[in-house]
Parts: sequence; C-alpha cells; structure tokens
Amino acid sequence: MTVNRRKKPASVNPMKIGQSLGAVLALQGCYRAMPLIHGSQGCSAFPKALLTRHFREPIAVQTSALQEMDVIFDANRNLEEALNLVLSKHRPDIIGIIGTELTDVAGVDYQNMLKTYKRERNMRGGLAFSVVLPDFRGSLESGFSSTVESMIDEMIQQVGHRGQRSVNTRQITLLPGSFLTPADVMELKEIISSFGFEVIVLPDISTSLSGHLLTGFSPLTRGGVPLDSMLQSLQSGLTIAVGGSMERPARRLHNAIGTPYKVFEGAMGLKATDELLHFLHQISGEPVPLRYCWQRENLLDSMLDAHFQFAGMSVVAALEPDHLHSVSGWLEELGVEQRALITSFETPLIAGMEREVWVGDLDDAEVLGKGADLWISNSHGIAGAQRTGAAFMPAGFPVWNELGAYMSVSAGYRGAMEWSNKAGNLLMQREAGSRESSVRHR
Amino acid sequence: MDPLRQDEFDSQACGSIAPKAKPCPRPKPGEAAGGCSFDGAQITLLPIMDAAHLVHGPIACAGNSWESRGTLSSGPSLSQYGFATDLTDSDIIFGGEKKLKDSIDYIAGRFAPPAIFVYSTCVTALIGEDMDAVCKEAADRLGIPVIPVNSPGFVGSKNLGNRLAGDALLQYVIGTGEPEPETDLGVNLIGEYNIAGEMWDIEKLMNSAGIAVTSRITGDARYKEITWAHRARVNMVVCSRALLGLAKEMESRYGIPYFEGSFYGAKETTYSLRQMAYLMNDREMERRVDRLTEREEARLSQELRPYRKLLRGKRAVLYTGGVKSWSVISALKELGVQVVGVGTNKSTEDDVRRIADRVGDDTEYIPEGGASRIIKTVRERKADIMIAGGRNMYVAMKEQIPFIDINQERHKAYAGYEGLLRLAKELTYSLANPIWKLAASPAPWDKEAPPYDR
Ligand code: SF4
Repeated sequence: MTVNRRKKPASVNPMKIGQSLGAVLALQGCYRAMPLIHGSQGCSAFPKALLTRHFREPIAVQTSALQEMDVIFDANRNLEEALNLVLSKHRPDIIGIIGTELTDVAGVDYQNMLKTYKRERNMRGGLAFSVVLPDFRGSLESGFSSTVESMIDEMIQQVGHRGQRSVNTRQITLLPGSFLTPADVMELKEIISSFGFEVIVLPDISTSLSGHLLTGFSPLTRGGVPLDSMLQSLQSGLTIAVGGSMERPARRLHNAIGTPYKVFEGAMGLKATDELLHFLHQISGEPVPLRYCWQRENLLDSMLDAHFQFAGMSVVAALEPDHLHSVSGWLEELGVEQRALITSFETPLIAGMEREVWVGDLDDAEVLGKGADLWISNSHGIAGAQRTGAAFMPAGFPVWNELGAYMSVSAGYRGAMEWSNKAGNLLMQREAGSRESSVRHR
Repeated sequence: MDPLRQDEFDSQACGSIAPKAKPCPRPKPGEAAGGCSFDGAQITLLPIMDAAHLVHGPIACAGNSWESRGTLSSGPSLSQYGFATDLTDSDIIFGGEKKLKDSIDYIAGRFAPPAIFVYSTCVTALIGEDMDAVCKEAADRLGIPVIPVNSPGFVGSKNLGNRLAGDALLQYVIGTGEPEPETDLGVNLIGEYNIAGEMWDIEKLMNSAGIAVTSRITGDARYKEITWAHRARVNMVVCSRALLGLAKEMESRYGIPYFEGSFYGAKETTYSLRQMAYLMNDREMERRVDRLTEREEARLSQELRPYRKLLRGKRAVLYTGGVKSWSVISALKELGVQVVGVGTNKSTEDDVRRIADRVGDDTEYIPEGGASRIIKTVRERKADIMIAGGRNMYVAMKEQIPFIDINQERHKAYAGYEGLLRLAKELTYSLANPIWKLAASPAPWDKEAPPYDR
C-alpha cells in the first residue's frame, strides 16, 4: 500500500545491519568457505562479534585489513596478500571477497584484480567470487541475497555453459532467505524431502550454525553445503526460493541454465504452509505426509486455544523486509491489530504489501507502536519495548537475550505453532505481571 | 581530519607516549583480528552515560556495534542509544556535513544531552568531511559541547582509538568545568569502564577507606564530572595503557601525580589502594587503608579457602589484551591456578616484563595466531581451562574446553576482593560442571560392538 518514512535527519537506534554482514552469513552456509572483507579491520571484527553473539558459534571471516595509506595508494596489494595467505594456509574451497563502502568510495577495482589473480595463479577447483556491498544501500537481507547471486553466477561461469545439462527432476535447489534460522532451513529441507525430493540448499546454515560438535578447530566454516553439491545443484529440476529477496538468485539460475523456479514469499503461518505443501503435493504427485496433516490440526487447535489471549491485542513489529512480510501474514491469522510495521529498507515485496509499512529504525517503532501490547524485533528493541510497556518478543537478527534463538522454528505448521504459543505466553505473563502490581498498589 | 603522517602514527602506536617505543605491527591481511580505531574510541567514551554518541558515516559502523559492551550505568542511559547519520550514496556524493549538522541539532533538541560526541568513520574521513568545523559551529550555536572524535577505523588498531579518545577528552573536556565547592576531591579512575559493574565494587572499597572518586574516566561517568577531572589529587590508570598518555599529560599540565594499577587479585587491589593514599600524602588515610585492606584480605582468605583447595594446581591458558594479561595472572596465582600459556599479542614490552615477573619459565607466550594457536597451547600444556574474550568462547566450547570470559562482553565483575572471590567461584563452577563428562562420553550405541560384521 504505502511505504512511509518519518522525517528525521539521524538514525536513532538503528535496526539496519551492514550488507557485508549478510554476505558473511551467507558464506557460513558453505562448507570450507572463507568470507574475506575488503576493507578496514573493524568492518570484519564487528560482524564477526555480532554473528558470534547471535549464533553462539565461531564465525569464519577475514579481512584485507586496510589502513589509511593502503586505501589511498594500493588497496589491492592488501587483498592480494590476504588471498595468498588464506589460500596457502587454509586452502578453502570457497572464497568470497566482499567489497565495502570504503573500497567503493575509494574506487578500488578489485573485480578485475581478482580475475587477473585467478588467471595468474591458474586457480581451479575452488570457487572464488566477489560481491560489492556498500553500506549505503540495503541491509543484511540484500547483502545475503546478493552474495548468493554472485555465488551462483560464479558457479554457472565455471560449469554451467559447458555442454548439455542433464536435468534431475527429483532434485530441488532450495534458496532460503536470510531471515530463516538454521532450524527453519532444516524444517524446510525436511518438508521438501518428505515428498521424495533430493534437496540441495544454497546456502545451508542448518548444518553449520545449528550447533554441531565437530572437533578440530579450523578458521574456515565447518558444515554447510559442500562445493560439489553446490555445483551439482545446477542439475536440479526446480528452484524453490523462500523470501522475496531470493527471487533474483532464482531468476539468475533460470536465465542462465533454464531451471524453472517458484518463489514463496514466506513459509510462516497456516496459509503460507498450506501453499507450500500443496505445491509440493502437486509437483511430486505424492500425498502430503501424515505428520504434516497432524501438525496442521495441532496448529489450528493451538490457535483456537490462543485466540482468547490475542483478542484485542496490538503488535508492533520491526524486522528485515522479507521477515516482516512473513510475520505480518502470521499476525493476520491471529487476528491481532498490527499497530506499526517497520523495516530497514524498501523492497518490491514491501512496496506491494497491503498494509502501511514504515522504513525506519527502532526509535520509530517506539513512537509509532506506542501503546502496543507486543513488540517483535531484534534484541536491540528490549529497551524500547520496556519504555513503551510492551511484552518483548525477540526475532530477527541479532538476538542475544535468549538461548537457542537460532534453533527456534517459524517455518511450517510447527513453526507457526511455536510462535503463536510463544507470543501468547508473553502476553499472558505481561498480564499476570500487571495484575500483580495492581494488587500491590492497592 | 588531518591525515596522520607515518612517523606520527608510529609514535602514537599502541598508546605509548615515548616515540621510540616499537610501533604496533601492521595488521596482517588475511590474518588480522580485533577491532578498528573507531571501535577503540567508542569503547573509551561510551561509558559517559548521559552524553549522546553520534556516529558519522554509513550505517554499518554504528548498526553493527551499538549495545555490544557490558558497561553498566547506574542512572542515565542515553549513551545506550544508537545514533548514526546513516549516510546514503547521495550524501557521500554531495557531502554529509549538512546531515551531520541536522543530526546534531535534532539530538540536542530532542534529548537535551549535556554533550554530544561525534565520531568520524573511514568513509567520512576519506571524503574529507570537516567534522571539527561542523562540531564547533554547532557547539557555539547550541551552547553545549559538541566534541569531534577523529578516530576513523583505518588509522589503526583499537588501542590507538582508545588513545585518540583520550586526546579528545584532553582537548575538549578536561579542564572545562569546576566541581561544586563541597565536593571531596580525590582520585580519577582512568581506563576503568565498569564492565559488569566492576567500577561499583571499586568505588565501594575506596569509599570505605575514605577515598573519594573525583572523575570516572569513563565507567558509569557523567559528562560533568570529567570536565573537572583536572582538580583531582591523584590519577590512577586502571588497565589501559592506551590512556597512560592522558595521565602523563595531566601530570604535566595540572601537576597531578599518577600511577598504574589494577584491581584484579587481592594483592594488586591492596597495592592500588595504598598507592592512592600514599600519593595523596595523607597519613591518616594511609592508616585507614591499612586497616581496611588487612580486614578485607583476612576475610577474603577465609572465604576463599574451600575454592583454593579445589583450584590448587589447576592449569590455565590466558588470552587477553594488554594490561589484563599480567594483572589477571596475579589474581589467578593467588587462587593457586598456574598460568601455562599467556597471550602477548596486545602487550607492550612493559606488560611482557610484568608477565615474566609473575609466571614460571615454562609458561608459553602466545604472540599471535588466534584461536588455533590458543587451542594448541591448551592441548600441549594440558591446561584445564581457557580464560579469554568472547570471540574465542565458542571455539573453546566446540573443543569442550572449560572457559571463562574475561573481556568486554562478560557479565561477571572480577575486580577487588569481592571480585577475586567471584572469580574463584566461577572457575570452580566451570571446572566442576557435569557437561564436560557428558559431552566426552559417546552415545550408548556407539559404545557397543557392531551387531554384525559388515
Ligand atoms: S573499519 Fe571503518 S568503516 Fe569499518 S567499522 Fe571501523 S570505522 Fe567503520
């Protein structure tokens, strides 16, 4: 409907995250990968610390460690040095070079440099690509999807155009959006494979950031989709993208090698899950597995139980675009008032929403969501929720005030049930709290 | 901002004041860890709790870093707000100064802070924004201090950022105010950031010895108290070599004597309190400190007894920056824990000397190399526990090594006598946790012999 912005010069309590962090996240979903941020040290140290805090896992990332003079004179010398070191010491299968606003503003041309580097070193076997992600544009979500797109580009360059493609119709490539947790990705993988498909997930954070116990330290990523599976995904008969932001990488696959694709805007809530399962049922010809029929009933039953709790309640949600869209759909099904929806930047999906959405920050959430009963945002929102007296529900990135946030499920019927119960419980606790304090005040 | 010349830069390296000191090595591309100077400057100034801290640059510098420290406030929380000019493409092309000015006005109008700190970042420094002029103009117009902090990330390490923040305090804050007439003047605590509330434990101790804190630079500080820091009688530099320059400058400008000390471990705590009283040249206070420290140490050793028994002979690898590396060794030694490996990556020569004074010959020094190197030391030296920063916490968990967080993000206060007791408890809890056994034993079906030969 409308996308609005409040007029104020500064961002106050930003929810926006630098794009390059999205790139680092995407690369965590690839096995033996190394994201290399072309910029100053801090630009890799901050994302590393933040991702570690959220996932409670070691995070692989390196930097070209530019200092002032390097930026002015020869930034690519640093990049070359970094590449040499990372390649010789750790032998990554995948290396993603992430350009920052600093290299962008300084006009550093590392795309060409990378090309020459690859040619000169006769680099084969691995996947090395670059992606330009200045922080003036987009946010975590766009950084993530642009990185997946660049990765796919590079894959196609390497093998795609070579000869005839043998299509495997029982194999699906899943492109999960950045808002999905490792547990969500796992859930989607299970759902799709329960219809008899092989699934290759790109990138697959469900096997890297979900808390495995592989020992033997490596500075590279542990877990995630291995390179040969990635390349094999080019044979898939279909691409399924989850989240509007993943449409572009899906389209890239389609345009280059003709893989048909289907985009699901989200996978949260009854309708969205219905749609996904119905689609899988149709293309596979398999019946919907019994456990999902059960889960559907479980969800409906829990929504019936919870609807007393949600009656007359209002919510403010501040999330990345795709995530906000998903959550808004789920809120719709709960019948709560959506007092204010805030997101970090404008996307086509957001612009096409039937509700009013604000592009802004958590301060806007505080102002526009005044009087809301429930507040849904990343952990930066705790203080704002407290000030406005709303119950706080952590979601999105980063979440540090809750254990196992990365394992919480929102996808599928199970996810919708988990979220409905969680939100209902928070409201219940808040009510109990205010009842108690009114007794004490008498 | 004026670009630093390489020779200037070298002289400022690692916060050492002596120009001949060896410079911080250039971070190694592909193997660098740690934050940027902007990060360092923020760490130093964010604990001024009632001020507004505005980051001038594209979103990531602020968006990825706000609310990441464990520094606590006893009152105002404006410093916990994340303010950013959040520059866009067109701001970069046409210049961000107008946006900066508007942002300052907006913050001043809406939040009425006692002061606004404005941080430059790589991009705004690169395109040559004249932040100093914008700040000066705004300060004159608004009638509140608007302080430029010229510490963009690419000038160097976090340490250099600490130092540049100290320079900003010297240039714009210290000496611009006067304490209320009835204020009891005493000690400035420099480089104590009130992580997990450590400052409060320290203050309580000082107060019970009758020593007043004049300015907290900067843990749980209020802007005003720093303006009169020049009236203190003593400066104590707590665990921050980067701010040593600040103390030295205050000595030469205002004649305030300073000393370096720490509050990790009972011995260091006692030493620091004594040193304060001594430098204040107050016999009565010295006697009071003696009585207090004796009493506290006696009580502490009583309370520590059960933990000491459990901790004696345990081996630890310690990986933390700068001064903490030696002061925490003292604390651990008092608990009977042997340090078998210690990080020296951020230590100065002085630090290394102090480390050497405190450990045995067979302790391994870990100069650099990050997580894999630390783990190697833990394995080779058969350490029981790893004590390091949050960055390495989950690496240790993967390797199933007991771990204690000693850096900025931690939630436990380890300073003073109370802090040592807390450290003893944490070490014990960590080592005794049942998880280590559980995680090390395989699932029952993995223990069985395979059902049939395959
Ligand atoms: S290195 Fe520069 S651009 Fe990166 S976070 Fe630090 S100040 Fe910001």
